[in-house]
Amino acid sequence: MSAPIVWRFKESKQRLVGGRCDSCGRAFYPLTYGCPYCGARSVKEFVLPREGKIVSYSIVYSTTDAARFETPIVLALVDLGVARVIAEITDIDPSEVSEDMKVEAVLRKVREEGESGVIVYALKFRPLLVDGD
Amino acid sequence: MAKILGYGLTRVERHYDKGVRELAAEATEKALEHSGIENVDFIVVASSLSYLQEPQLDIAGYLASFLGLRGARSFAVEAGESSGAAALQVAKSLIDSGHASTVLVVGIDKLTDYPSQETYRHLQLLYDTYSDAFYNIGHAGIAGILMRLYMKAYGVSREILSYWPSMMHSHGSSNPYAMLRFRVDPSKVHSSAPLAEPVTLMDAYPLGDGAAAIVMSSSEGPRAGDPAAELVRIESSTGFPSPALSDDPLKIDSLAASMSRLGISPRDLGNVDVMEIHDSFTITGLLILETLGLADRGKAPESVAEGRFTVGGDGPLVNPSGGLKSRGHPIGATDVYKAAEIVMQLDGSFPGVKAQDARLGLLVSVNGFGSSSYVGLFKSV
Amino acid sequence: MSVGFKAEKGTGIHGWGVYVPRYLLPLDDIARVWGWAKQQYAGLGVESKAIAGPDEDSTTMGYEAALNAIRRARIEPKSIGAVFFGTESKPYAVKPSATIIADALGIAPITMASDLEFACRAASEALRISIGLVSSGMMNYSLVIGSDTAQAMPGDVLEFTASSGAAAFVVGPASGSAAFFEGSFTYVTDTPDFWRREGMPYPRHGEGFTGEPAYFHHIINSVRGLLDQLGLRPSDFDYAVFHQPNGKFPVKVGKILGFTMEQLKPGLVTPIIGNTYNASALIGLAKILDEAKPGQRILVAPFGSGAGSDAFSLIVTDNIESRRGLAPTFSDYLSRQVRIDYSLYARYREKIRLMPK
Repeated sequence: MSAPIVWRFKESKQRLVGGRCDSCGRAFYPLTYGCPYCGARSVKEFVLPREGKIVSYSIVYSTTDAARFETPIVLALVDLGVARVIAEITDIDPSEVSEDMKVEAVLRKVREEGESGVIVYALKFRPLLVDGD
Repeated sequence: MAKILGYGLTRVERHYDKGVRELAAEATEKALEHSGIENVDFIVVASSLSYLQEPQLDIAGYLASFLGLRGARSFAVEAGESSGAAALQVAKSLIDSGHASTVLVVGIDKLTDYPSQETYRHLQLLYDTYSDAFYNIGHAGIAGILMRLYMKAYGVSREILSYWPSMMHSHGSSNPYAMLRFRVDPSKVHSSAPLAEPVTLMDAYPLGDGAAAIVMSSSEGPRAGDPAAELVRIESSTGFPSPALSDDPLKIDSLAASMSRLGISPRDLGNVDVMEIHDSFTITGLLILETLGLADRGKAPESVAEGRFTVGGDGPLVNPSGGLKSRGHPIGATDVYKAAEIVMQLDGSFPGVKAQDARLGLLVSVNGFGSSSYVGLFKSV
Repeated sequence: MSVGFKAEKGTGIHGWGVYVPRYLLPLDDIARVWGWAKQQYAGLGVESKAIAGPDEDSTTMGYEAALNAIRRARIEPKSIGAVFFGTESKPYAVKPSATIIADALGIAPITMASDLEFACRAASEALRISIGLVSSGMMNYSLVIGSDTAQAMPGDVLEFTASSGAAAFVVGPASGSAAFFEGSFTYVTDTPDFWRREGMPYPRHGEGFTGEPAYFHHIINSVRGLLDQLGLRPSDFDYAVFHQPNGKFPVKVGKILGFTMEQLKPGLVTPIIGNTYNASALIGLAKILDEAKPGQRILVAPFGSGAGSDAFSLIVTDNIESRRGLAPTFSDYLSRQVRIDYSLYARYREKIRLMPK
C-alpha cells in the first residue's frame, strides 16, 4: 500500500468516518458516493460510534505475510448500533472471544510496508476495557 | 441464439510447468477442435489474477497471437470470481447484437506461482479493500464469520455442514478434470486444519491453476450434430460489498436479484436438471442453495446430508463436477469450467457423475459473498 | 537561582490519561532465558514489565493515552493548539507521530505538532513548553504525550526493566483544571550516561554512570531548585513521584531529598509495569491523579539521560473528582493484564530475526 493510498484512508480508518444517507436516513461504513441502500446521492460523512458488540467472528489462520506476528487474527462482524462493520479484534486470546462481547475502537497497526515503507494504522476493536453498564 | 459449439478444459492442478499462455492454449486447442472451426471474430479472456500471479496487462492481446489467432478482436473481462460468467455474458451480447458470429471465451488463472501467503494476499483483493479487506482477512475470513453466524442463527452443528465437501469430493472423484479426486468422510472435514475457524482446509477450494475455453456461435457448427447446447439467458446483479452492510447477510441479495432478472422462480428450478454453483467455501455453497430457494433457510445442510442434490436425489443434481471444492477454483477460469461442464451434461458427454437426460442446466456464480452474482441458463439442443 | 517568569500559576492539568498494554512479562522469565541468577536482578526492585502487543507502537499507545486525557478534560479536540509527542522509540525515524495522533483524534489541522526527543524526559519538557504556551495566551490547551516501547538489547540488564506504556496530559488555564501548576524547574547538563546512535536498534548505557552523575545529580538539582523557588519543603507535599528506571532509584532519590515512603509509594509503578521511559514518571503522576484529593500537593520530577530533569509542583483542585471517571484508570489497565513468557515477548516485539522484506 503506497503512502497516498494510506493517506486517503485516514479519515475512514482512523476516525471511523462512514456515511449517512439524507434520503433514507441509514448509516453505513465505509463512506460512499451513493447510498448502498436507496441509491440516493445524498450521503454525508457520519462518524460511527466507537463501541459495539460482536455479532459473529472467525479465527483466521490463513493470513498474509503482513500479519505474521499477529496470526491467528480474530476477525469479527461488529454491531455499532447504527451500522455494522467487519474489523479485527485485538488484545484478545482467540479462546476468549464470544458473540455479544462488548468491544471498543482502538488505533493499531494493520501492516507495515516492509522495513522501509509506510506504517498502516487503522482502528481495530478490543474487549471493552471498562464496562459502564 | 448463442450456441456453444465446443469446449476445452485442462485439469485443475499445480501446473508449475505451464504458464498462463500454455494453459490457455491447451484449453483453446481442444475447444476449437471440438467446435470444428479455425477462427473466431472475438476472444473474450476471463482472468482475475493474471495481473498478479504471472503479471501481464492486455493479456487478451498477447494471448491472441500466442494462440495463432492474431487479428482477432480481443479483450479481457475481470469480475473477480465471476470473471468467467461476466465473459460469457459479454460473449453472448456480442453474438445477440450481431457484432460477432463466433466468440472464443477463455478463462485462465494461476494460483500457485507464489507461496500460499502471497496468494492469500491476492485473493484477499476479491473482498472490499475499502472496508473488510483493509484488514488482514486472508481469503477465508469472511467465510468464517458467515459460517459461525449461520450455525448460530439456525442452531446448526458444525458436523452437519461437513456433508457438503464430502458430497463434492464424492462427485469430483470421477471427474478427470478435478484437482482433488479423493473421497472425504464428513468427519474428516471439521477435524482438518483451520483456515478461518470454523472454516477448515476441507471447507475451502484448493489453490490450483487451470484454463477452460468455450466457443460460442450464432449459427450451426460446420459438423453434424453441432451445436452442443445453447446459452439461453445469462443475468447478473451487483450487491452489497460486505456482509456488514446487509440486514440479512445469510442471503446473497445479488444472487436473488440475478435470479429474478433471469425470470426463474424457485418452483421453475424444479425443471433444471443440473447446476454448477459457486461453493468457494462450504458456507457459500449452502447460502446459494438457500438463496435460490432449493432449501429452506437453515435447512440446506440437512438436505445435502440427505442426498437431495446428488445422483438419485429429488433436487437438481448440483455440482456433479465436484464444484470449486473438488474440481478446483482457478478464479477467473472457474465459470468457464462450469459452462463447459453443464454443456457436457446436456450433450451427454460429461466424463464423471452424469445427470440423467439433462435438458436444462444452471450456472451460478458469486464474487466474494455477493458484490456480483451471475446466473446462466443452458439448454440442450 | 531563577530563570523566566512565574507563568505556572496560570496553568493546570485539565485531563490526564494513561495507556498500559495488556501483556506482562515476569523478570524471572527473562532470567530463565538469559541464565541470570535471582541475586543479579533482584536489586532492581521490579517484578514484571508491560509488553506492547504485536500491533502496537509508541504512536498507538500515545493515541490512547491522549484520547483518555481529552475525555477527562472534556474539551473539543479542535480547541487543542499544540500536540507534543515525547518518545525515544519513534516508529518513523523521520516523520512525526504527533501528526498521526493529531489527525486521528480530530485535533488537526490548526495546531502545532511535533515529536520531541530527550531520552526519557522529552514529554516532561513538553509540559514546561505547554505551560509557556498556555500562560502566554498563545493557546488555551496543549496536549502532552509521553510514550515508549522501550528498546533494550536482549540479555542486557536494561532488558529486565525496559517496558511499554504511555501517559498524556491536557494542559490549559488554571481555571477549570483538575490540578494547577505551582511552579516548575529544569536542570540539564551534557552527561552521556545513555544513548542510541542513528540506525542502531538498541541503546547503550554507562551502567553505574547512569546513577550518581546522571539520574541522582539531575533530579536532586531540579527538585532542590523548585523547592527553593517556591519556598517549600518535602513535608509540604502529599505525593512525590520521580523517574523510575527501576524500583530502587526513585526510592533512593526520594529519601536523599527528604521524602517518606508514604509520599513515594502511590506514584511507584515501575515495580509492576517496568520502565516505560517517557511515560515512567508521568504514569506515576497520572496514577496519583486517579486517587488524589482536592487540595493535595504533588511533586513530579522526570529525568532523561543525556541528561536533564524537570521538577513540577501541582495542587489538586475540586474538579478532580468529576474527571476521574471519564476514562479508564491505571488500575483499569492493570486489571486486564495477562502474563506472557519470553517467547511470546520475543514474537510480539519482533525480536525474532526474519528474512529482510
